[in-house]
Amino acid sequence: MSLAAPAIRLRDVHKRYGHHELLAGISLDVARGEKLGLIGPAACGKSVLLKLVCGLEQPDRGEIEVLGESVLGKREPELGPLRQRIGMLFQNYALFDFLPVEANVAFPLERRGGLDARELADRVAARLRAVGLAGSEHKLTAELSGGMKKRVGIARATVADPELVIYDEPSAGLDPVTTQKIYDLLADDQARTGATVLAVSSDVVALARFVDEIAFLYRGHIVHRGPAASIFDAEDPLVRQFVRGELEGPLSEARP
Amino acid sequence: MKAAVTNVGAGALRVAEEVGGIVILTGQTLRALVPPRVDSRELFKNLYKMGNRSVPIIVLTAFFAGGLMTLQTGPFVKKLGATSLAGWGAGYAVLREIGPILIALMFSGRVGANNTAELATMTVTEQLDGLRALAIDPVRFLVVPRVIAMMVMLVALTVIGDLVALIGASVVGHAMLDIEWSTMYHSFADNLRPYDFLHGVYKSIAFGAAIAISSCYFGVTVRGGAVGVGRAVNAAVVAAAVSIMLLDFFLTYLTG
Amino acid sequence: MMRAIEAIGETAVDTSRALRELWLVYVGTIAGLVRRRRSRNRGELARQLYAIGNRSLVFVIVTLGFIGMVMTYEACLQLSRVVGDYSQVGPQYLRLVVSDFAPTLTGLMLATRVGAGIAAEIGSMKVTEQIDALRMSGVLPIDYLIVPRFVASVVMTLVLATVGGVVMYTAGGLTAQYSFGVNPSSFYDFQFVRPRHVVMMIVKALSYGAAIPIVSGFCGLRARGSSEGVGWATTAAVIGSSFAVIVLDFVISAAALFITGGDL
Repeated sequence: MSLAAPAIRLRDVHKRYGHHELLAGISLDVARGEKLGLIGPAACGKSVLLKLVCGLEQPDRGEIEVLGESVLGKREPELGPLRQRIGMLFQNYALFDFLPVEANVAFPLERRGGLDARELADRVAARLRAVGLAGSEHKLTAELSGGMKKRVGIARATVADPELVIYDEPSAGLDPVTTQKIYDLLADDQARTGATVLAVSSDVVALARFVDEIAFLYRGHIVHRGPAASIFDAEDPLVRQFVRGELEGPLSEARP
Repeated sequence: MKAAVTNVGAGALRVAEEVGGIVILTGQTLRALVPPRVDSRELFKNLYKMGNRSVPIIVLTAFFAGGLMTLQTGPFVKKLGATSLAGWGAGYAVLREIGPILIALMFSGRVGANNTAELATMTVTEQLDGLRALAIDPVRFLVVPRVIAMMVMLVALTVIGDLVALIGASVVGHAMLDIEWSTMYHSFADNLRPYDFLHGVYKSIAFGAAIAISSCYFGVTVRGGAVGVGRAVNAAVVAAAVSIMLLDFFLTYLTG
Repeated sequence: MMRAIEAIGETAVDTSRALRELWLVYVGTIAGLVRRRRSRNRGELARQLYAIGNRSLVFVIVTLGFIGMVMTYEACLQLSRVVGDYSQVGPQYLRLVVSDFAPTLTGLMLATRVGAGIAAEIGSMKVTEQIDALRMSGVLPIDYLIVPRFVASVVMTLVLATVGGVVMYTAGGLTAQYSFGVNPSSFYDFQFVRPRHVVMMIVKALSYGAAIPIVSGFCGLRARGSSEGVGWATTAAVIGSSFAVIVLDFVISAAALFITGGDL
């Protein structure tokens, strides 16, 4: 852990959708090089939190600092340079369906500029090899399976070696074997670059093997944060019930 | 060269396939009307939805269209000193052509497109299959009420729209060309016959059928998720527009 | 009663907010055009010109051809009842085709076809988060997606309006000749067409070409949900673009009337 400013700093962040307050005062720090997992019941604001961190949405209240820069009140063009230091894997891959695989992965590098065509092609090819998709450069997204699309998404998110990588449900909809392969891939990547990682997942078991710490988002608050290895023995009964998938407990009673 | 011919051929085949499909759907709809057993709840729900939603935009459009006709024909008529014919110039064009066509086009855009989107979404989310599994014929249950509702609504809206257009023509005549209200009114009354009005209404029945069948057809034959829905709506409004123009042509020639 | 007033108020607020956002899209598009940023959307303009122009050509020709025939038929029919003299039909018709019918009908047809297409494309990108992915790569969606479509639409609408006008006029001439025995030489007569009519046609075609992608792009960017959202965006785009064409037609015609002092 470095002593430099945290990669992500959230202070008392509030966000409401319609009449519903999704995030009711979130404060969170993620140190550089740390891997944090985020879990919680469906539709409780995890994806929204990720979008806030990237500046894709603005909070109603609170402070958000990413990689040393505040994202509050900034307009789109101003966020460009910061976003080039962040890589994001979207829940539904968000691949550009009008471009082939190669162009998808090359996209962030092209925006950055500073690389000639040869270097660009080499880096893209290397990334695709690393995710196991060498040879699929010219395929269109419609021809790919779910797992392949995820891997293209990961390749695109990491091709520019960003300082912060965000994964929104990296293994949703994938079979257990593919899930493990994906997480191994994420782990190798992070070991190589030392990037900070923020990952949201409903697969707590796989997530726990990958990240250092896990935070539990429930009803607009972070109600628990602790080492991933011991998440299943957490003291908080809410958390224990959630991660163990038990039907009885404070979660089911407190359902809104 | 060969590619061009192949393209034209493929295009022609596609059009033929679609025309064929539409004919089949029309047949199914007609068969479901004999004997007329229609889900009255669906019918009234659709009547309300389609009528309610479209009145404001149709009224606004009709007003502007009527005004436009006066702008086009009024100065010419004034120059000839034949202001008593001012209403005739604007009026017959509105009642026989501009009114029905423009209102049909706007209806196609507002109600037809919306209908296609709804049916397409239902198809994509497998609700139609669900209905079939419950031994309910989607054509009888969904398509027929909508076809009837759209035809009825378009006729009603054409009548309303025609009147509003005449009002719009008068307002513009008065405000911009200094033609007296009474002059306009008398020139309508003297030169326009009930038959001119009915001619437009007959057309709107045909347009309503065309819009309804086209809209339902492309809705239920959608393929491919969110992208497919967009394409279905696109195809439906284009097909409706072409049909409106073609029908207008044939009807004008047939009924003089 | 209170609830009705509240509802009207809410609608007014929503509408004004939407109009303001629409204006921002317009400003953003012009700014993107002027800036000519490093969007480096290679070949997109060419692709859009093709998508909007080539693929709408047949559609425009068919629709304007048919309606040209109908209009001439109706006009001759009415004249045969009232005046009995067809000598004015051709020239007057040409004046109207050039100054109004060709650009406006083309505009309406394109509002339907192109408007739906743009909203469907951009809308499906929005609901599959591709717009967010673009933003994450530091790309402005307006620059990347809307500006090429804007340029293509403005150019193509003018081209198609011209083609449509020719088709409309010729189809009308053929109708007049074969159904009413009107002499071609008296029909195909340019005597009433003034430069101002051509100017009106150009202004109208350019305005419609500008309005359609802005309105449709705006609707697409606002799509929410999944397939439902795309359907809704497409519908709104067709209506909005069509209505914009009609209102612009009215405004430009009225302005022309005003400027020329009532002599159209």
